[in-house]
Amino acid sequence: MRKRITLPILLAAAMAATAVGSVRAADSSNYQQLQKKYSTLKVQMQAMQKQMAQMQKQMAAQQKQMKAVQQAAPSINERATRRAIKRLSRQVMKLSEKEAALEPGNIQVLIAGDVNVQFQNKSGGNSTFYADSSPMIQVRIDKNIFVNTAFDFYTASGQAGGSAADIGAANINYELGDYMTVGGGLITSPIGGIVGNYNPAPWNRWLVDGSLEDNLLPPNELGIWTRGGIPAPGNLGYLTYFLFVSNGPEFIGTSGVPNQLSYDNFTATQNAKTVGGRISYLPIPNVEIGYSAEWASPTQSGALTKSDSWIQAVDFNSYYFNKKIEGFVKFRGGWTWEQVGQGGITPGNPTTPPALGNMSNGGQIDVAYQPSMCGIKYLDKMMVAFRYDRTDGPVTGVQTPGAMHEQRYSVGLDYWLHSNAVLKFEYEFDNVPDQHGSDAMFMQFAVGI
Amino acid sequence: MNLRNIQTVRMIMLVGLAAASLTLMAGCSNNGTAGKPTAKKAAKPAAIWPLAVQDPAKNETGAQIWSENCLRCHQLRSPSQYTPAQWGVIVQYMRLKAGLTGEQARKVLAFLKSASAH
Ligand code: HEC
Repeated sequence: MRKRITLPILLAAAMAATAVGSVRAADSSNYQQLQKKYSTLKVQMQAMQKQMAQMQKQMAAQQKQMKAVQQAAPSINERATRRAIKRLSRQVMKLSEKEAALEPGNIQVLIAGDVNVQFQNKSGGNSTFYADSSPMIQVRIDKNIFVNTAFDFYTASGQAGGSAADIGAANINYELGDYMTVGGGLITSPIGGIVGNYNPAPWNRWLVDGSLEDNLLPPNELGIWTRGGIPAPGNLGYLTYFLFVSNGPEFIGTSGVPNQLSYDNFTATQNAKTVGGRISYLPIPNVEIGYSAEWASPTQSGALTKSDSWIQAVDFNSYYFNKKIEGFVKFRGGWTWEQVGQGGITPGNPTTPPALGNMSNGGQIDVAYQPSMCGIKYLDKMMVAFRYDRTDGPVTGVQTPGAMHEQRYSVGLDYWLHSNAVLKFEYEFDNVPDQHGSDAMFMQFAVGI
Repeated sequence: MNLRNIQTVRMIMLVGLAAASLTLMAGCSNNGTAGKPTAKKAAKPAAIWPLAVQDPAKNETGAQIWSENCLRCHQLRSPSQYTPAQWGVIVQYMRLKAGLTGEQARKVLAFLKSASAH
């Protein structure tokens, strides 16, 4: 019986002991695992904390850098942009130079010139319409050679009517370097500056009628020349020059009696040549002062009369373009002296020596104002222009056409439809002594091509 | 026209032109005081030329040379009026007319070509 009781108790005790033991064993292994986890987590956390600290440090450094970059950015950008622009413009220059060095056969031709339609009413004469077309063929043969041909087709004014054609330019120019071009042919004369620089094209003139000074100036030169622009000594602005040798002028007149000088020097008699030129100085781009002179030995075909003639002229041109005056004012002017020396007669020629040795002079002052910046529709395209011009020529003897005592005031109102299309209205108050009343009214529509 | 007619025409002309000139001036000064900058106004260059001696040694850009020199004899023609190739011909001609140096001409041409193409 004891046996019976003892076994179960022993079994139970043994089981209980095993159970407690196993509980104890389970607890300790959990703890160890937890501890392990804890320590790995702790290590991880410490690593993360380290990382975070590092990241914060990095962020702070980056923020510092960003601030520095932000502060420096404008100047860096500016400098970079400026450098890029310089690089680009150098590239553009190089490219355009490359393009300018044209391949053979790559000739560039431009049809330019002008067309103008005019109405004029001179008191004492008939009013008349007039039209004129002056096409120009400009050719760039290569980067050094330029060729220009200009024609002039016009209706002849006056009662005779009709139409006529003329040649205004036929010249070849060769660029010898940065400061010199040589050329030859027929070209607008540089004498007096005003004709050569602005006059041939009506679209770049403010008034319709030519000036009285123009009459004293040779319109063309047929010969050879050299011209160019050079920096003035000491880099004080620029100098331009145009020096030529051309066919001499010719005495013209009725029945062998010369009373006028013609500068349409398409033929030269007696080998007479004109030597002359113009130099100008531009202290600033908008101011130009010019001096020109030409000496010639005029002759008369057939009569062989020979003399000498001098033309000297001064001219100036300037503009002032400023918001203060809402646009620009332009001033131009000039004065020309023309002297014809004593004439001589070839022995054996029966013609009476002409009464030479006289002086003609004349000049002009031109002013124009255009409020091109005023921003008011139509008004910004209007230009008012004023001119005073006069000539004093000898009463007898040799004179160029139109060189008599005359002075005029002209006022004009222009409407610039375009930079090269203008509607002009002009009234000319003329004061011809003893011949009152040759005032004139002009209207013109001029277009440059 | 007889003498009396001429005198009447002269009077009308003088009065007319004086009125036109005054309108031009007045119109502009009014605009100046009102000072309303229109879009058109803003688009135009407020060019002011310094009255200092032109220094060829200073490195002028093509645009500067163009705006300063090409206005001397006529109105400025917009770069877009001609193709780059046409500007090649024109600048070769205008170099002669304006008395530009070769370098100035090249710079003006580079400017006009790029401004014309865009
Ligand atoms: C000295 C005066 C003068 C200057 C300065 C001048 N031009 Fe001209 N320009 C003329 C004349 C005059 C004409 C008309 C052509 C003729 O009659 O020979 C003309 C014509 C033109 C034409 C019409 C097309 C053609 O080839 O005939 C353009 C475009 C032109 N000029 C652009 C310019 C540019 C660009 C400049 C600056 C580099 C310039 N001009 C500077 C006097 C000048």
